[in-house]
Amino acid sequence: MTTLDVTTPEMVLIRYGELALKGKNRGSFEHALIRNIRAACEPISNVYVERLRGRMAVIPEKRAGDVARRIQDVFGIKTISPAWGCEPAPEKIAELGRAILADALRDYAPNHTVQFRVKTSRGDKSFPMTSMDLDRFVAPLVLEGVENVKVNLSKPELTLGIEVRTERAYVFVRRLKGHGGLPVGTLGRAMVLLSGGIDSPVAAWLAMKRGCAVSYITFHSAPYIGEASKKKVVDLVRALARFQSHSRLFVVPFTEIQETIRDRAPAPYRTVLYRRMMQRLASRLAKRDRCKALVTGESLGQVASQTLENITCIADAAEFPVLRPLICYDKEEAIDLARKIGTFELSIIPEPDCCTVFMPPRPIIKGRIEACEAAEAEMDVEALVERALEGLEMINVKGDVY
Amino acid sequence: MHRIYLDNAASTPLSPAVREAMAPFLAQSFGNPSSAHRLGVEAEEAIDRARELVARAVGARARNVIFTSGGTEANNLAVIGGARARKTAGRHLIVGPTEHASVRKAALALENEGFEVSFARLDAQGALDQGHLATILREDTVLVAQMLVSNEFGSIYPVRDVARLVRTRAPHALVHIDAVQGLGKRELSITELGCHTLAISAHKVHGPKGTGALIVSDGVQLEPLLHGGPQEHGLRAGTENPAGIVGLGRAAADAEGSREQTVAHLTALRELFVQLIERLPGAKLLEPGTPQQAMMPGIITTFLPGVPSSVRLHHLDERGVLASAGAACNAKRKDVNPALLAAGLDADDSRRVLRFSLAATTTEEEVRHALRVIEELHHELEAVES
Repeated sequence: MTTLDVTTPEMVLIRYGELALKGKNRGSFEHALIRNIRAACEPISNVYVERLRGRMAVIPEKRAGDVARRIQDVFGIKTISPAWGCEPAPEKIAELGRAILADALRDYAPNHTVQFRVKTSRGDKSFPMTSMDLDRFVAPLVLEGVENVKVNLSKPELTLGIEVRTERAYVFVRRLKGHGGLPVGTLGRAMVLLSGGIDSPVAAWLAMKRGCAVSYITFHSAPYIGEASKKKVVDLVRALARFQSHSRLFVVPFTEIQETIRDRAPAPYRTVLYRRMMQRLASRLAKRDRCKALVTGESLGQVASQTLENITCIADAAEFPVLRPLICYDKEEAIDLARKIGTFELSIIPEPDCCTVFMPPRPIIKGRIEACEAAEAEMDVEALVERALEGLEMINVKGDVY
Repeated sequence: MHRIYLDNAASTPLSPAVREAMAPFLAQSFGNPSSAHRLGVEAEEAIDRARELVARAVGARARNVIFTSGGTEANNLAVIGGARARKTAGRHLIVGPTEHASVRKAALALENEGFEVSFARLDAQGALDQGHLATILREDTVLVAQMLVSNEFGSIYPVRDVARLVRTRAPHALVHIDAVQGLGKRELSITELGCHTLAISAHKVHGPKGTGALIVSDGVQLEPLLHGGPQEHGLRAGTENPAGIVGLGRAAADAEGSREQTVAHLTALRELFVQLIERLPGAKLLEPGTPQQAMMPGIITTFLPGVPSSVRLHHLDERGVLASAGAACNAKRKDVNPALLAAGLDADDSRRVLRFSLAATTTEEEVRHALRVIEELHHELEAVES
């Protein structure tokens, strides 16, 4: 038997869980997934994506291993297997399986006995053998003369997977985990209020995971805070570009608003009033950017502004539903997730954000909407909003970084 | 007199595109990337973009790229920084058989800290002896350093196989790959090669000297060699070199972007050399390794009988052909390279080895002219000797 070269996988097999269940929407979900896979791989390789039943085959021009890693960051995918293809004939499949097994066994210590099985699934039911027949046909052929391997159907540590299609069969051994969720964009667009902190990037990630495309809005109070603070927010958006390749970040000048609130409103209400203004600005931009919701990193009880009363006051100024993916997360849980998605290291860089400007010594804990409205009656809210939006800066972030 | 530069494994000419990309950072954009004002942010953003370009060229993410002052520092950081970070797991290192001095001596410097250094070896054909490597890997091995492309011969080492062997035999060991000669010639990828760190250098691919990078796989801890500011995730303190880094970014992107054309071009040029060497009596092309083993075509190392290579190099230099005797970095080394012994040469023969190294910028016309010069000189020298 000749030894086939199995150094670089031919394609990447993708399985999507929840997505397959979405009935009539399935077509558009699959299209979104294909688009997102292409965009994620684009910086390193062009890919050809083929839809199979309940699966997809991603065939890269080059760098199949790196392509597989990148696809791990695309939402809507359950598992990923770098695979090799051959003619869908039992003998050819066995020959390929033998080469792949030999290669995979080199990853185990030499004296270790590997628990092994073969598992076939057929997309093409016209194939002359049943799945179990093919398992039984292939297993003895791939194991012939191979040492330190024992068949174990119930608890294998290495499974040689076979996927039979009409035109081609695929063989693989590795299954990388995806994040699950739904393809970014399938649920529409949301506007994320992004500070430089730990929580809001995690909230953005969770919203994306559930199918939202996101735009970002951040508030900048020059000259009280500097260029480096803005850069930090841009960096966070770039870090999140692993999960959504193209993003828009709106930077809204917030100085005049903060100065006005400082001068006209009761000091304890400052933070709540800042946030009401942020909701207004975000809502305006959300409308322009065709968003259907706002997303914040709020978490119940985490800081003074995040009591039920204050959250009520703040949401009152929003013109869209406010999604708060972290509302019941502990800080540690948010930090764990931030580490996992690669935003933590950026978030902890000490740069002030606009919330720290003119922070009152004793912020209100149980704010009341009427009190907010009374304070806002002392200023021209509409004019402040208009002027802030006139100074709007939009930053396009395209990247595959971090 | 027209100069024909055939020493591209030592260094390459700066490309105009790279020079252009660097220019603003040698002029008006002089800010310190750590400064919070706009000049600082401008420099920082340029570094970020360069980081993305380098990451793409090696199939990694920007967060994996640590900029250094060149290949030597990248190799030192990987070997010394990697071994020190893992010293609780063991104090044994393995160094490839023909490593660059910046890997070899970095490893040997660790002997003062209680580390033991073993050397992998070549087999009789001059290929990496993997059977031997398997026997010297130990439970307490914490680092294995192996180059991808030999700077002396252009032989390509099976680094992916090395990484797999290490994983099964020495689970605590980091695998470092010196890919300085591989950038722009081979597809580089820390994931595909299965290594933890990988070193590259700008000036081998038409970038500026004084800039390189260490690509560090996610989750790999290294101890910094330079202490100070928090630059490069705290792994490399000191104000960054924006011009150099931007140059590396451009150079790496261009090298990877034109890799396939470059390799095809170099392969065609190599063929011309092979034809000449076959014509010269007693001359040998040195291609250590198994016959199936791929060579990086841009490095052509030859044994030319007669005068020592130093004499021949001076003659060639006078006639406008610039080449080198073995690798420039160890041209003065006394000991014989094992790869030469493997090619059937003795210590005396090793003084008659010349290396011609080509780049994408080398033209066919230049090579044909150089070959005529080499051939004429060879016959002249032969006549003098007899």
